[in-house]
Amino acid sequence: MTDPINVPSSFQDPSGFVFQHNGIYYRKVNLNYASHYDVLMRSGLYDHLTKKRWLLTHTELSDNSFPSPDLYKILLPRQLSFISYAYEWSFDMMKDAALLTLSIYKTALAYGMTLKDATPFNIQFLDGRPVLIDTLSFEILDEKKPWVAYRQFCETFLFPLYLEYYLRINIKKTLISCINGIPADVTASLLPLRSKLNAGVWLHVHLQNAIKGRHKNSGKEKFSKAKSERLLEHLQSIIEKLKPRNVISSSWSNYYNESVLSTEYLQSKEKILREFLNEFSYRQVLDLGANDGYFSLILTERATEVVAVDLDSQCINNLYALIKNQRLTKLVPLVIDLANPSPAAGFNNSERAAFADRIHPDLVLALALVHHLVISRNIPLPLLAKWLVQFSPMLIIEFVPPEDIKVQQMTENRGNTFDKYNLLNFEEAFSEYFTTIKKMDIAGSLRTLYFMQRITT
Amino acid sequence: MKNTILLYVDPGSGSYLVQMIIAGILAAIFYIKSIWWRIKSFFSGRRPPDSSKDDLHD
Repeated sequence: MTDPINVPSSFQDPSGFVFQHNGIYYRKVNLNYASHYDVLMRSGLYDHLTKKRWLLTHTELSDNSFPSPDLYKILLPRQLSFISYAYEWSFDMMKDAALLTLSIYKTALAYGMTLKDATPFNIQFLDGRPVLIDTLSFEILDEKKPWVAYRQFCETFLFPLYLEYYLRINIKKTLISCINGIPADVTASLLPLRSKLNAGVWLHVHLQNAIKGRHKNSGKEKFSKAKSERLLEHLQSIIEKLKPRNVISSSWSNYYNESVLSTEYLQSKEKILREFLNEFSYRQVLDLGANDGYFSLILTERATEVVAVDLDSQCINNLYALIKNQRLTKLVPLVIDLANPSPAAGFNNSERAAFADRIHPDLVLALALVHHLVISRNIPLPLLAKWLVQFSPMLIIEFVPPEDIKVQQMTENRGNTFDKYNLLNFEEAFSEYFTTIKKMDIAGSLRTLYFMQRITT
Repeated sequence: MKNTILLYVDPGSGSYLVQMIIAGILAAIFYIKSIWWRIKSFFSGRRPPDSSKDDLHD
């Protein structure tokens, strides 16, 4: 029996915090939050939100396992196998998380409560849809006050969406360094002139920036619930209209449709993969360089959860659209640059964990990936093997030889820098950390698929 | 001196003024729109559209 450990991301809220004990996550509710928590539970708001699957479910612990003087309740929430952050989401994931936050706020208003926090760090993607995980985000409503989380909502949801919409760049990555969001003045200076013609931008960005810091002292003019609802409906209508702007196909989004790779190759690869997968069942699989998720979908047949990551945000957005349309529950798609994955961030660099520290798969899939990391990103094979071994005990990896047409195209103007990139060196580098269980040539290509197991020392 | 005091204003309250103004503008737009719909429906004989929407996340 070890002592409970407080979760480092949970220090800011005076209402309670999340802690871990023997591998299980709990949420402590402090006495000072008791009245708000009781309204959440007794008003019907909790039931309403959990029935819609908008809020993470929990049960209250009845025993006195974790005594402390300011304790009101200990909650046992539904356990999450993995945490992702907004800077790893695609445009539509961010958009849906923002709309969910507003829908929850709207419902809370109807039950006489409000949301005191509105940040994407409180939203997770579970069973293929966004869900609010912070049970202590609710507060008894004071109708005379405007929304306390309005600015936070703008800086962490609305402004990143606006910037991505107008500038066509994945600005969400900025949230790694700007952990509390992108301020109005930065947003106003980055947005193009034409954005000023948009009433929403003008009101929520430029007006907010212009009167920033001015404080309303007189208590004469009061807010009302109707005004709150009108404001939130306005935010809803703005965000619903925002669409991802990179409609021109990205370099990877039509990879399987347009690439020179033959159907024979794809069919053979799928057949071998299924053969490898039939050996075991998996709890969590990490698909590196998932592209449009074709193989991630096959993985879901043998795994409880598949985390599909790719550098290309449009591929991930398309995959998210598929998950939404077909109501797929086992896939989590994320935008991650494998040569520069999300670092640890926030206070003491422990508030938000690095990507590799958040995921503990029992299988990693790396199809048609090695040549991209070795050739495009100059990562030597031994370093690549050492990096991959940290993730999981099992690895399915595809080797694309230097004679392959794709590799030929990539190395065409690069001289003899990649002399060491060959099958022999690949096998040697990986044999340092892995034992090959199976190895099969993929028909219709010069490529080989390996099923490897980590060498335990 | 005035600016120094502002530094100690609760971060949430800084956005109260902008919300007051936006809510005021939205109320004005809503009012104008409702008059416009009344005029329109008077001439066309149709009822104004229902603004209530279903939840997006169902």
